[in-house]
Amino acid sequence: MSTMKTTRDIKGVGVSIPRPDGPEKVTGRVQYVADIQPRGLLHAKLLRSPHAHARILSIDTSAAKALPGVRAVLTAKDIPHLKKKAPTRAHAVLAIDRVVFMGQPVAAVAADELSIAEEALDLIKVEYQVLPASIDPLKAMLPGAPPVADAGTEADTSEALAHSAVAIAKSEAPAKAVNISQQARLQRGDPAKGFAESDHVLEKTYRVPMVHQGYLEAHAVLAEWDRNGLLTLWASTQGSFNTRSEVADVLGIPENQIRVIPVECGGGFGGKIRALCEPITAVLAQVTKRPVRYVMTRREELQAGMPAPQVIIKLKTGVKRDGTLMALDAETVIDSGAYSGAVLAVSAVFLGSMYKWPSFDVRGFEVLTHKPSVAAYRAPVAPQTIFAIESHMEQIARDLDLDSVEFRMRHLIQPGDPMVNGQPWQSNGARQVLARIAEHPHWKSRKQWVAAAGKNGKKRGVGLALGGWLGGLQPTGATVRLNPDGSLAVLTGQVDIAGTNISLAQIAASAYGVDTDMVRITTGDTDVAPMTGLSAGSKTIYTVGAAVLQAAEDARRQTFEIAAAELEASVHDLELVDGKVTVRGMPDKGITLATIGKKGNLYMSKTPPVLGKANPAFTQQAPGFAAQLARLEVDPDTGEVTLLDFVIVQDVGKAINPLGVEGQMQGGAVQSLGMALTEGLMFDDSGRLTNPSLLDYRKLTAADLPNLETIIVEVPAPAGPFGARGVGEPPIIPAPAAIANAIQDATGARLTELPMSPERIALALVNGKH
Amino acid sequence: MAKQILQCTVNGEPVEVLVQPYVTLLDALREDMGLTGPKEGCGTGDCGACTVHVDGKVVASCLMLAMQARGRKVRTIEGLAAADTTLHPLQDAFVRHGVPQCGFCIPGVLMAATALLEENPRPSEEEIRYGIAGNLCRCTGYTKMVAAISEAAGTLASQRSAR
Amino acid sequence: MRRFDLVLPNTLEDCLKILAERGAQAKLVAGGTDLLPQMKNGALKPDLVIDLSGIARIRQVQNGDGLRIGAAVTARELELSPALRGVYLAIAESAAMVGSLQVRNLATVGGNLCNAAPSADMAPPLVALEAQAVIAGPGGERRVPMADFFTGVRQTVLAPNELLVELIVPPPGAHSGGQYLRHTPRRELDIAVVGVASQLTIADGRCTKARIALASVAPTPVRATAAERALEGQAVTPQLIERAATLAIEAARPIDDQRGSIEFRKHLVRVLTRRTLTTALARASA
Repeated sequence: MSTMKTTRDIKGVGVSIPRPDGPEKVTGRVQYVADIQPRGLLHAKLLRSPHAHARILSIDTSAAKALPGVRAVLTAKDIPHLKKKAPTRAHAVLAIDRVVFMGQPVAAVAADELSIAEEALDLIKVEYQVLPASIDPLKAMLPGAPPVADAGTEADTSEALAHSAVAIAKSEAPAKAVNISQQARLQRGDPAKGFAESDHVLEKTYRVPMVHQGYLEAHAVLAEWDRNGLLTLWASTQGSFNTRSEVADVLGIPENQIRVIPVECGGGFGGKIRALCEPITAVLAQVTKRPVRYVMTRREELQAGMPAPQVIIKLKTGVKRDGTLMALDAETVIDSGAYSGAVLAVSAVFLGSMYKWPSFDVRGFEVLTHKPSVAAYRAPVAPQTIFAIESHMEQIARDLDLDSVEFRMRHLIQPGDPMVNGQPWQSNGARQVLARIAEHPHWKSRKQWVAAAGKNGKKRGVGLALGGWLGGLQPTGATVRLNPDGSLAVLTGQVDIAGTNISLAQIAASAYGVDTDMVRITTGDTDVAPMTGLSAGSKTIYTVGAAVLQAAEDARRQTFEIAAAELEASVHDLELVDGKVTVRGMPDKGITLATIGKKGNLYMSKTPPVLGKANPAFTQQAPGFAAQLARLEVDPDTGEVTLLDFVIVQDVGKAINPLGVEGQMQGGAVQSLGMALTEGLMFDDSGRLTNPSLLDYRKLTAADLPNLETIIVEVPAPAGPFGARGVGEPPIIPAPAAIANAIQDATGARLTELPMSPERIALALVNGKH
Repeated sequence: MAKQILQCTVNGEPVEVLVQPYVTLLDALREDMGLTGPKEGCGTGDCGACTVHVDGKVVASCLMLAMQARGRKVRTIEGLAAADTTLHPLQDAFVRHGVPQCGFCIPGVLMAATALLEENPRPSEEEIRYGIAGNLCRCTGYTKMVAAISEAAGTLASQRSAR
Repeated sequence: MRRFDLVLPNTLEDCLKILAERGAQAKLVAGGTDLLPQMKNGALKPDLVIDLSGIARIRQVQNGDGLRIGAAVTARELELSPALRGVYLAIAESAAMVGSLQVRNLATVGGNLCNAAPSADMAPPLVALEAQAVIAGPGGERRVPMADFFTGVRQTVLAPNELLVELIVPPPGAHSGGQYLRHTPRRELDIAVVGVASQLTIADGRCTKARIALASVAPTPVRATAAERALEGQAVTPQLIERAATLAIEAARPIDDQRGSIEFRKHLVRVLTRRTLTTALARASA
């Protein structure tokens, strides 16, 4: 087990140090996959199904193959060694005899130029027999709905595991509903009795459409094989080891025949964890014996990416007049698209056990539809779940004339209270962040502020919400090496998406006993780095930070042992100050780190090179909570929302690098502000995406947002490095509920469907839905 | 479809390259001139990742045909730092404020911010926000960007008055 | 994009010669902000593209006896042009709303009109100001009133061998004012769910001319003629404005699509007509 406490002064941890890759990024020198231009490069394009559900009757590629400049045209027939039944979407490299979502790849082309590849796609003739499709998840759940999966395909819980959601007992599924791929049910007490004894029963259905993670760099991969059959993939990925494993499994080759080099990743947020384009690009490279690059277009990303699931939550609560909680009944339907993979359990945990419901019945269903299958998106299913429960709690408080914060605080869990599955809540800062946001002047002055609405005709509202994430876990490894000049080299395989590398350097520096600028972090590829988990799940600092800390402490121990032998002293009498290991109280009796480092690399030397290592696994999650507040104005005629102020209070355990932590808080919140106000993938009844461009898939611009205020709270995580918790996911969770509550405060309208577009708000007011 | 000769000025240097008629200015900069700073985020002018200056004005280079830049002055992120590689005050402010996360939007944002400050040396917060409203960022939420641009405006103003 | 040939005429005459020979398989490009996205998603696959950026004649803005706007003037140039102040302000306002700065520095008024999307922002103010389109073809030049220029979704009166050269906007009179407003879910990078341009000319306390043009509520921009008639000859009061705003809905035949429902669009017609008429009146009276 790791020792997270240290008695020496912390140098570096807690300091806002700018990321060392900043200068490379602001000069445009950092390379992403599409910037790599090897000689002989071929460009890949995929022909995609125009139907949501169809049988493939024939494919004629002869004209495409004949186009000069085309080097390969492949269909599933050309890749016979791939698995016939596709257990996951990655395995469905090219559709074999059936397509199950509009945009599913049917054929692949590699050509000298992208333009030629596009023309080649035009020349491929595919005959389809269109089949009835299941598009709406509520209809798809019914017996007799057009079936999506091949019979016998198992539910895919890998996404849930990646995000370390709580394991939930499986429920027996009635065999008639063919599109229900996962089911769960959790119960406590006697909800029927609880409802019967309630004074106030509230029932609402909350809906959130599929949303795209919105990373600005589309999926991109470059593949090349060498003459020994070794495949190298330069990938935009959140986890090079995961990519390697998936590609190996899909292609049926050993993992050590694949090298995945994680290139700078232009955003992932959960959408670049699972393999997507890598297998087909690798096959094209193998067939053409040339490097092949595939970069998805934005249209392809929106139509055929791996979005967050559509979530429909039917929520019913019973409380007494004085606000005593009695019973909760919830049904969550998660539309996973054409392949299973949603994180079902999260919804149950936060619906049933963020507040202390004495009785509940929570049912979850994952449903398959003929739409692109889903992947994680920053705290998967949590923003949608919190949108439901926090809107609902606010409505109850309003109806019963109770104070919003007091009502929540009264029922909010404490560490030790049971979660829905009986496991106790770990130490967390839920109560602290809620208390902190209630102290904010914007909250305290809300009634006066709302009343002082100006003569511009707009209505003012203030709203808040609370949410959290359980915190991911994944085993990992790190090494710390002492260089001959006394500096440190830290090696992990961790893809640096959130700026974690500088924080890892700060942790290593503090744990070893040098200044941060003596430490350089290298992110190694899968050939070079120790086994590393995903950059996801809010666990990089929590797990990799712990590994780096332990490795640095191991290196320090080795350093001191060498110094003790050289100085003929006991390790307990030594200290490390300003790059020199000395006997305490005798500053002249010492040996520099550089000397120790050089001795470890000298010909015929008896001194070993200092190499600290750690390869921990973890059992204790560290939940992270955030509370957010919104002040906004609504134009009652057009429904336009102007967000004037937004405050994020988040418990991060220990802010290793406050600058980086603030960036995560602000960025996460803005993502779900988009979910709240403007974003949604809109499919028509035939399963066609009607908004496949960034003109109509609306992400928020700088002109739509105010400055986001950040307040860091630190409730140390017992097992976190220097008490740190994961930071990435909590900030995306509360925003939609905070906005919904503020809109209700402003207009009286309670919106339960996202996005809360101007149309929805204006028509709610026009039609008198107060 | 023969290639055509594109003659223009890029980052202060005269350039003559052969380009396919059907490529965009973005493609020509990236593939034919090795300037991979400008990025493709959407290809349809809806994200700003491809922002460069043409004759001093910000444009979506993914919407210009390369040959439409003939005879014109183009400036990319690679031309922002000084000749001796000293960072432009905007670049320096972005680094110190912790602005870049994934970094993909940054070249476009910096080019938009540069044009903003050249046209409006003392922008208000709202003017800054509208000045970069054509640049989508998914990582940062824009707050630190606005602060960095505001600070850089002050730095540039004092540099000007110091001369 | 798929491959194509590209020609770069330097004069209007050269351009017309090419159009005469190959207009049917060709597309004209100026700013490219509508054309290139359509070519990239395969909606358009021309064999030949004709670049207009070298033709100086169509890039001027002149304010003399009436306003003359070259077809290749960019939205940004219109947004900032000193010639488009006062009575013509609505044109500058509409230009300022197109896309983003990076788009406005490329997008041209001619492209906006010839692409003829129902949501084209620059169309309603030009219709409301009774502009005329000057079209060059093999037989010389002809003029078409803006209100007759559009014939359907993405369809205009232009023949394949013709080119929009400039717009002529007659002066609407000394006491005239107008405004263009649109509703969008975001403040930038967006497209009109509904757009309304109102232009009022006042004399002796009465409205002598009212023009109201609507975007995104029909296959083409449409004039709200019933609303116009209710205003003309009357003293314009808030009550009359409200009545006109309600009458404007009659001209709207919107569809339900992912940008807006019929119900919302009709609602917005009333709201934006009310607001633009109110501002037009204030500007006309200033």
